Amino acid sequence: MLKRVLSMALGLAISCSPAYAADSEMFKGKTITYIIATGPGGGYDSYGRLLSRFLQKYLPGTRILVKNVPGAGHIVGANTIYAARPDGLTFGTFNTGLIYDQLLQRGGVKFDLSKFGYIGKASNDTRALVISTKSGLHSFDEVLKSKTPVKFAASGIGSAAYIETRILQNALNVPIQIVPGFDGNEGEMSMLRNEVVAEVGTANSLEPFVKNRGGFFALALTDSDSLPGVPKAMTYAKDERAKRLLNLVSTLSLIGRLTAGPPGMPPATLAVLREAFTATMKDPAYIAEAKRLGLPLDPASGDKVEAMVKQALAQPPETIAELKRAASQ
Amino acid sequence: MDFAVAVSSLVGILTSPYLLGLMMIGVLVGIFMGIAPGVGGKLGLVLLIPFVYGMDPLAGAVFLLSMHAVVHTAGAVTSILIGVPGEGATAATVLDGFAMTKNGEPGRALGASFGASLAGSIAGAVFLGASLGILEPVILSFSPAEFFLLAILGITFIATLSGKSVIKGLVVGLFGLMISFVGLDPSTGSERFTGGQLFLWDGVDIITAILAMFAIPEMISLGVTRQTYASDAPTTQHIRYDQVRQGLWDVVRHRWLVLRVSLLVAAIGVIPGLGGDAASWIAYGHTVQSSKHPERFGKGEVAGVIGAETGTCAKEGGSLLPTLFFGVPGSSGMAIMLGAFLMLGLQPGPAMLTEHLNIVWSLIWSLMVANIICVAILLAAAPWISRLAYVKTSLMVPIVLLFAILGSYLGHNAWQNLVLIIFLGGLGYLLKRHDWPRAPFVIGVILGKIAEDSLLKAMAIWGYSFFLRPISLVLIAMIIGSIVFYIWRQRNPRVGIVHG
Repeated sequence: MLKRVLSMALGLAISCSPAYAADSEMFKGKTITYIIATGPGGGYDSYGRLLSRFLQKYLPGTRILVKNVPGAGHIVGANTIYAARPDGLTFGTFNTGLIYDQLLQRGGVKFDLSKFGYIGKASNDTRALVISTKSGLHSFDEVLKSKTPVKFAASGIGSAAYIETRILQNALNVPIQIVPGFDGNEGEMSMLRNEVVAEVGTANSLEPFVKNRGGFFALALTDSDSLPGVPKAMTYAKDERAKRLLNLVSTLSLIGRLTAGPPGMPPATLAVLREAFTATMKDPAYIAEAKRLGLPLDPASGDKVEAMVKQALAQPPETIAELKRAASQ
Repeated sequence: MDFAVAVSSLVGILTSPYLLGLMMIGVLVGIFMGIAPGVGGKLGLVLLIPFVYGMDPLAGAVFLLSMHAVVHTAGAVTSILIGVPGEGATAATVLDGFAMTKNGEPGRALGASFGASLAGSIAGAVFLGASLGILEPVILSFSPAEFFLLAILGITFIATLSGKSVIKGLVVGLFGLMISFVGLDPSTGSERFTGGQLFLWDGVDIITAILAMFAIPEMISLGVTRQTYASDAPTTQHIRYDQVRQGLWDVVRHRWLVLRVSLLVAAIGVIPGLGGDAASWIAYGHTVQSSKHPERFGKGEVAGVIGAETGTCAKEGGSLLPTLFFGVPGSSGMAIMLGAFLMLGLQPGPAMLTEHLNIVWSLIWSLMVANIICVAILLAAAPWISRLAYVKTSLMVPIVLLFAILGSYLGHNAWQNLVLIIFLGGLGYLLKRHDWPRAPFVIGVILGKIAEDSLLKAMAIWGYSFFLRPISLVLIAMIIGSIVFYIWRQRNPRVGIVHG
């Protein structure tokens, strides 16, 4: 009896909200696959698993399975999401660095980022320049004034971090010699060994290094206030060309940890997913768990993400030409 | 002080039923992952990480580490009994362990391997615990210049591991090097030997290459000859404990080798940039080179099993530390573990040593305790385990092939790896059939990428002057010494063969 009353009350509560009424019809008893375009462990995996755990609550009656589809710097995972059936049962996350891959028309890319069904984003991925404390340099201005090229560590040629270091170099005429091929935290190790002076990376991953006084944030490449007191790269830009290049990096990092589904999802389906995503982002339990895991949050809705992606993709031919140079030097 | 933290951490583990229970599950899973050919520690981690999501950081890390620590120990079982290694590191055990099984000594080989694993993991843990204070300067004194020269030193062992013909060894080794160059060119970012295939952008999967070179050829030749391995062995049904005991005693006899290899490998493991797989092969190369009768290796020399197994187990602790202190993994398995640490909310960095010393010690201890539990289980089960060598061909071949194919597929979720394993497996069978050495291939695949990557970095940072760094000069002397010693030995075949 009690059960019946409770279930009736629950049914009534759910039916009061039109979105959730549609939701329970649409997804009840279904299994959703959340694709993460990297292997298990690490940032993308953590954000993905955290989201799928809590999102289930706002898509009642569903089961969300997490599937890691790593390979070729997120391209394989993004290809997989793009090719999935647009029924709302497959979506996932990938690196925004893929925007460079699409602009550069790299081989292997079988998606058009402007056509994904964007569900939302959980956080920014602020980019910053860190200078090693052992280098003897105290600010970005000192790097700019250096008579000899300053050694910067970067990941492999053609990767997002490499391209961004090149963009910084070209946009602001920074005297840099890039030493490529550093994965993960290897660049920080190289700074500790005093081999290289600086590195461009995501503020979140560089924070422990800065906290342990291995280096300091000298410049924020993202045009936001997430690094208070750190000068912004944009303030050094002298012309439109420089602003355009830096703006591209900034937009990418503001999109950050996104969640997207394949193109062609019915508007009603996408709306339900977006609503559930937004509700998850406001869930106090979700926020507390993200804090415990050290994952910063700065959520935005799917339509905003879509607008930002489209803005990032709309680059004039001269920027694309610059990007091509940056990716291959 | 440190000592008090060390003891209290050990007591903390031993008195916590929760942690011990998790370790026990981890060990059992690890034994399964190790024995199932091709599954291995890295894949084990990939499969288990989703389960620890949301766990308490220490408990999750202890669970994963226990599993990972014993995979190599248990992996020796298939390496020795059926010649099928689980991973790059355990492939070195195949060379002598499998030969011993063919010579009718599977029990002794198992005993020696379990004993060596235990000794290696204990010696490695103690060495690391003792060197915690000086770890940072040691780790920081190794740079891409030294990684490059260490990789070259490892590559010179190809000669030692070539068997009768150095030319054949070099050909196979160079082929391995070529395979290691598949992927994105680090100096231009463009595709190299990928044939436009996305799954090759990250390079040829090492597990697939190893399985193709060892597991597939063994299974084909087993299918062709339709014999079990130990069928011509004198003890056809039961492996008695006296054989196992003999193997354990062999470890005691070779105690100085065990100690030397443990220290060498723990030290190499500590240096991120070289990787654990390389450490095991350098350990095996050192064992052969320092032996008074190198001609016996590859034919069933127990010291070969001991050197290789001590190496694979001692490196675990070594590669854990840079992962914890710098967030830079010391081996490919630790690279996955690092991701798991981050997911558990364990933030690697120098603060681990100052603020979370208890966690560091708990992890070092759990590596050791897990291995003790694992060896105890395996020793108790040794007589039954060794019957694996007598399993019927019609049963063995499909099961091993199934696991090998699963292992190759699951690592990257790429079906294309199955095509690759068939192609390289066919090549491996041809090599086996025509008596060409296969170990140099593994060395080439593992060390090629490290050598290329570090050379490019060293050149970008210092130019040619990197050869003149103090440690570089020592390593160059070791490389020249290794080559000269080899040539001298070839010219004086009787010198050094003391025991005939």
